Amino acid sequence: MIKLNINGKQVDLDVDADTPLLWALRDDAGLTGTKFGCGMGLCGACTVLLDGQVMRSCVLKIGDVGTKAITTIEGLSKDASHPVQKAWIAENVPQCGYCQSGQIMQAAAVLKDNPNISDADIDAQMTGNLCRCMTYTRIRAAVRQAANAMKGA
Amino acid sequence: MNRTSQPPTAPLSRREFLTSAVAIGGGLALSFSLPAQEGGPPRPAGPPAAPRQPSGFLQIAANGAITIITPAVEMGQGGHTGMPMIIMEELGGDWKQLVVKDAAAAPLYNNPLFGQQSTVGSFSVRGWYTELRRIGAAGREMLVAAAAKEWGVSPAECTAANSVITHKPSGRTKTYGSVAALAATMPVPQNPTLKANGEFKVIGSSPPRTDVAPKVDGSAKYGIDMVLPGMLVGAIKAAPTVTGTLKSFDDSAARGMKGFHSTVALPNGVIVLANTYWQAKSALDKVKVEFDPGKLGGVDSAKVSALLHSGFDEQGAVVRNEGDADKALASAARVVEATYEVPYLAHACMEPMNCTVRANGDTAEVWVGTQSPQAVQAAAAQVLGLAKERVTVHMQYLGGGFGRRGESDYATQAAMAAKASGRPVKLIWSREEDIQHDFYRPAAAIRFRGGLDASGKLTAMEARVVTSAAPNLGGPPNAGFYTSSVGDMAYAIPNLKVTGINKDIGVRFGFWRSVNQSHNPFMLEGFLDEVAAATKQDPYQFRRSLLQHEKAKRQLAVLDMLAEKSGWSKRPAGHFYGISAFAAYGSYIGSVVDVSLQDKKIVLNRVVTVIDCGVAVHPANIVAQLEGGMVYGLSAALRGEITLKDGAVQQSNFHNYPVLMMAQMPKTECYIMPSTESPGGVGEPGTAPIAPSLASAIFAATASRVRSLPLSKHSLEVIAARA
Repeated sequence: MIKLNINGKQVDLDVDADTPLLWALRDDAGLTGTKFGCGMGLCGACTVLLDGQVMRSCVLKIGDVGTKAITTIEGLSKDASHPVQKAWIAENVPQCGYCQSGQIMQAAAVLKDNPNISDADIDAQMTGNLCRCMTYTRIRAAVRQAANAMKGA
Repeated sequence: MNRTSQPPTAPLSRREFLTSAVAIGGGLALSFSLPAQEGGPPRPAGPPAAPRQPSGFLQIAANGAITIITPAVEMGQGGHTGMPMIIMEELGGDWKQLVVKDAAAAPLYNNPLFGQQSTVGSFSVRGWYTELRRIGAAGREMLVAAAAKEWGVSPAECTAANSVITHKPSGRTKTYGSVAALAATMPVPQNPTLKANGEFKVIGSSPPRTDVAPKVDGSAKYGIDMVLPGMLVGAIKAAPTVTGTLKSFDDSAARGMKGFHSTVALPNGVIVLANTYWQAKSALDKVKVEFDPGKLGGVDSAKVSALLHSGFDEQGAVVRNEGDADKALASAARVVEATYEVPYLAHACMEPMNCTVRANGDTAEVWVGTQSPQAVQAAAAQVLGLAKERVTVHMQYLGGGFGRRGESDYATQAAMAAKASGRPVKLIWSREEDIQHDFYRPAAAIRFRGGLDASGKLTAMEARVVTSAAPNLGGPPNAGFYTSSVGDMAYAIPNLKVTGINKDIGVRFGFWRSVNQSHNPFMLEGFLDEVAAATKQDPYQFRRSLLQHEKAKRQLAVLDMLAEKSGWSKRPAGHFYGISAFAAYGSYIGSVVDVSLQDKKIVLNRVVTVIDCGVAVHPANIVAQLEGGMVYGLSAALRGEITLKDGAVQQSNFHNYPVLMMAQMPKTECYIMPSTESPGGVGEPGTAPIAPSLASAIFAATASRVRSLPLSKHSLEVIAARA
């Protein structure tokens, strides 16, 4: 049994310790909002937060998580009220939407530490999250909008 | 399945508005003819589209909820928003009451333009535009008729908007919901009155997309997210070579592993079934599999290229022959010759291929995000030995389509696994399987020869278009299909001969966003650029000179708007521009790419795109499609290449099949030509102009001509200018 702290709740999973966190979340904890894109940490679709830090959950074994707090897209806010989610809605960012959970988690973590982020840094921090529909223009605008909202907070 | 019944998930009751065609006798018979779609594939001949009953597309509940059943799936291109907008415009319903549902797999939802239920070919708005307007208008007239009947007044005295019918003389009102049940009993008007373009309130606006909310909180369900009681998850290993088959397998090392259920043999691979994906994948990695490489076991990219080039000397099929190109070239003052070539490309949808199948005895269900629900339905039906009407397809959101999800290979595999195990099966492909078992954008090559007279005028052109694959569109490979943009070019060249040669190499191929427009315009526009350079003509003015006839009017207008919006005649120092424009998918599109040079790197300053797509249903979404499509094409132009070695695809994941990242995203400007023409396609045209315009700009900057893609092969590094 592996005990995990997921979105503020203690969850016990009967899963081998070398199972990637991504698959434990999706198949065993029933949280399918975190997505599988590559399995090699190359695309960012599986991004979750571990004690607030960005992690690619497809290459993180659950045996290595320990007691750290895991936050998935489902736990980012109630009712999509996080400034990043609100900006994503205002800017109509998603197209197919499959990469967007990862994009939003990445943006949320980046902005928490740095709401005064420059445009160049937005690119540098977000560029590891791939999007095949190429919503990058709107992601940039939404991150900028969320940053402005979080600066005021 | 009774064609007039509702999808199983939405049972029809008498209280629901707009009942079945059987009850009211005939449904909505549509006997219109659609305007010719320039630049698109030819419409196949066949029986006229069956009459569409409104109840298959539109249901209004007593509480006012308006359920619209969209025949276009949602893969990010706006299918769940654009289709409802068109119905709502004529219906006069309250947008806030909208509930969107996907269509079942049924002939009722065959696209009027090409007779199939597929969200492909940028066909959704242009194929459904008139029909959905008629359905919405019919609905409005039936609602008005019902209200008028209750009031005992003439319908001519009533107006309808925002889900309210108003009796103008008395000011009395009724809501759509309150008369929905009665409206369902009204006769369906055979020729409902449509609004004039100037009256549009919804079409031409840009409401928030209906699928945004679930896509920002993790609740949107894709095929890969499916969960069913008793479901097994499958991981697959298919033969590495493109023609490989399964020879043998030994799963003894996998059998004892946690969660392992069984191994299913397929003609070209094995699926391991377990309780979860990771268990299945871990067990699969322990299975020893032997494959027979098959006919193409020795093919590599050099051989593919050689085969393409050998096609230049074959007879092929002539698709365009004006004047006498051979004679004109023989007597030309000067001949310009060039050969262009492009590689295979993978789709690389963000969501790897997957499919969930449950066999329920004499029926079955499939859960999948697919562009072609009837193809998936047929695939599962065939494996399970059922009539296709017994298979229900539950449509999910697609994590990218781009043409890949028009295929049904993974549905066949999932059905085989469900059949073998007797359990529901969700099959998930790894990224490696996804890249290595794609239906690739075909490799292709064109050899051009242009004849110039003494004054430098282009009087003759010959193009030999060689493809590595041509689809079977219900007949022998159609040279008109894979030569499109070249064979049907709008440029006026008095002696023009275009020949198509299909080398039919045998690598599995499919439709990749913008299909033939993903390469033919790159090659043709590149060659025209060469002719312009050889005659010292400005590329924009040169193209203008060849588009001075009536049929080229809209293409010329796009070209001119590009020049205007990009400031072609006012290029700042150090900025080099490339231009291209052409017809695509019933629209006219082009772009200007603006680059600079910086330490031998090409700096992409901006991309200006102009589209004439006729009536623009959702302008903001069109811009999103132009930007997204352009960057999908840019990604391929910069680094996209599928190579073969020993019969197998060498690429496997995003480290060796790199796709464009945010830092490489250029600044874009998109303009939609104002128009009242019937809608043209939007989902794919945006992908086509970037490669030719970029190559043209690179030539202007470096005098270096790019005749093959990707650019990375030419040691050309392209970076996006910092905003």
